[in-house]
Amino acid sequence: MYKQLFSYPFLEKQQSKDVYYNLNDLFEYITSDEYISITEEHTDKNIYKELIECYKSNLLFLKDHGLPHNKHEQFNTFNLNKLYNLDILSSNVSKTSSIYDKLDHLATSNKNKVVCIDGDIFTTESINKKSSTALQVLDYIKVRKQRHKEYTRLIEKTGNFSNMTFGATVYPNVLVFPNASKNKFATKPVSISYENSVDDPILETNTNIIDIQYGTHVKLVENVKTTAGQMNYVTYIVREGSTLEIERNTTDAGGWGVFDSRFICHPNSIVKINSSNPGSQYTQENFYFKCSSNVSVELTGRNNIKKGNEYYSFVRVRSADNDNTSKIDIKNIGNEHCKTSFIGKFEVSADSVGFKGSMNNDNLMLSSTAKMNSRPILDIYTKEIECTHGCTISNVDKNQLYYLQSKGFDNKTANSILVESFLC
Amino acid sequence: MAETIDINQNLKYNIPMLKLKNYSVNEVLENIDVEFEKGKKYIVMGSNGVGKSTLIHSIMGRPDLEVTGELTLDTIDLLEMPVDQRAKAGLFVAFQTPTAIPGLSNFQLMKQALDLKGSELGKKLAEYKDNATALKLPEGWDKRNVNYDASGGEKKKSELIHLKMLDNKVAMLDEPDSGLDVDGIKSLIDTLNDWHNEDNTLIVVTHYEKLIEGINPDAVLVLKRDNVIVGDKTLADTIFSKGFDSV
Repeated sequence: MYKQLFSYPFLEKQQSKDVYYNLNDLFEYITSDEYISITEEHTDKNIYKELIECYKSNLLFLKDHGLPHNKHEQFNTFNLNKLYNLDILSSNVSKTSSIYDKLDHLATSNKNKVVCIDGDIFTTESINKKSSTALQVLDYIKVRKQRHKEYTRLIEKTGNFSNMTFGATVYPNVLVFPNASKNKFATKPVSISYENSVDDPILETNTNIIDIQYGTHVKLVENVKTTAGQMNYVTYIVREGSTLEIERNTTDAGGWGVFDSRFICHPNSIVKINSSNPGSQYTQENFYFKCSSNVSVELTGRNNIKKGNEYYSFVRVRSADNDNTSKIDIKNIGNEHCKTSFIGKFEVSADSVGFKGSMNNDNLMLSSTAKMNSRPILDIYTKEIECTHGCTISNVDKNQLYYLQSKGFDNKTANSILVESFLC
Repeated sequence: MAETIDINQNLKYNIPMLKLKNYSVNEVLENIDVEFEKGKKYIVMGSNGVGKSTLIHSIMGRPDLEVTGELTLDTIDLLEMPVDQRAKAGLFVAFQTPTAIPGLSNFQLMKQALDLKGSELGKKLAEYKDNATALKLPEGWDKRNVNYDASGGEKKKSELIHLKMLDNKVAMLDEPDSGLDVDGIKSLIDTLNDWHNEDNTLIVVTHYEKLIEGINPDAVLVLKRDNVIVGDKTLADTIFSKGFDSV
């Protein structure tokens, strides 16, 4: 959070606000007239004008719309109160040494690895070689101008946490998987880690754009580890005829996080995501899919929410044109005192003939102290579709438990087997 | 009343393996006395709803069944034991409607159950596949989910694999013939006769004549609410010709 904005330090104690106790304090500061005026006064000549305009209009939008509130469709009273009460004050910032040890090794590693920490992006040397088939890392979008207009246009004003994340990131990073790489990054996947530099509740943010160019097949292994507060806003552009596969594993390391993933799916593209998340003191994971025509979206979530943790997810699939398919399958396990909610929505426009969608959210409550919510929404404007949904919240099946016990498994082992099989 | 034989007199030199005394379950069974001996095969019959399945599952320890009286296996008092301990003590039940567990493969279930017994891994998979093939279960059965998307007959055959591989002392099968085709019945009879030996006890709930013939039981038990009538195979013949009210 303590960083440079256009060569000017911001969010530091000498600014108008001494401390930022929670998100509302930070929101008030970055939407203040004083702060917005900084964006105009301290414009770096090297920064492309489009980006400055985009950043400023994002702040103004944020100022007009405020932070998300419980009346928004994708949130509910279940979740936001906790987030807004989180203390993000940096009391004793201690750099996590493991991160920087990792970064030292990163430079010489021959693996395809990218690490994102608080708006900065680090890559292995091998990944960033200048070649037509190499991954292009446009760190701080400012250093490359040719695609600024397109990329900045893609940073939408959404009304969720994306605007706040971008507001605190300033410079988005762009990863381009060029058409010439073909299947290269499918056979040798790219690992992208989202980590914190500190072990403190302080907020750190990343705004990334990942561009899968036409006819390319890419696999990403995303590792999200929150030792502090972490808000990520990633826009994936999946261009015509491309396939994007994501294996996302989130680790609870004592922090909290919000991860907004936006997928802009061009015609004939495929997106497959497998995600696992144990929750944390507060975790929100949102997926937004915008599908043109003949797009296939498959999202599988297997989330074993640990004792006392919270995990809230929102999934929206917008189908704008013909013959899109979407399969959403989220399963959550609720341990003692945990809270989860799922809100899923299919928005199928009148022009989206031939849409085939299935939305399933199954929840297994292992404890009566767990609280689990599920809400499917189908917003359909055409008749020519096939759409199913099913949401369940249940306890461990006593018949299954007895069946396993009769084969010799004790209660604990039988429960564990049932949890594993539920998540399969 | 049909003529019955007191098998306990004929087998007086054997030690009762599984013994129920003043045994009551919920409001279904009341003060039942019955003994199942080592090395013997039993058929359990009874009119619909009399409590045959309840009897078997209460012996296995199903938690929702309230039991009073005595229940011992050899010298072990089973009554306060949880289900898994009873299984470890030697009891096995093959379900009338085996429970589906999506996400757990047939082999994984058996592997983990055998791990508890300390069996060798390599041998287990080969043995599992051999058993599945012998029972004419489809190719890849080991990888399919437990009792999920399976026919009634396939589920029953799967229980037979468990019976063979877990190799418990007392096997209780609840209508194992239902859902099986002609070949399946033959496989069932062969499996049960192959499994049974002088050190274990087979208890089968059935009303299927051919199965009773194939098993050739040492005793036939007719379950009543507060009584068990014990006889030889002719007791089953009487039931088939005259009905339960005749005994």
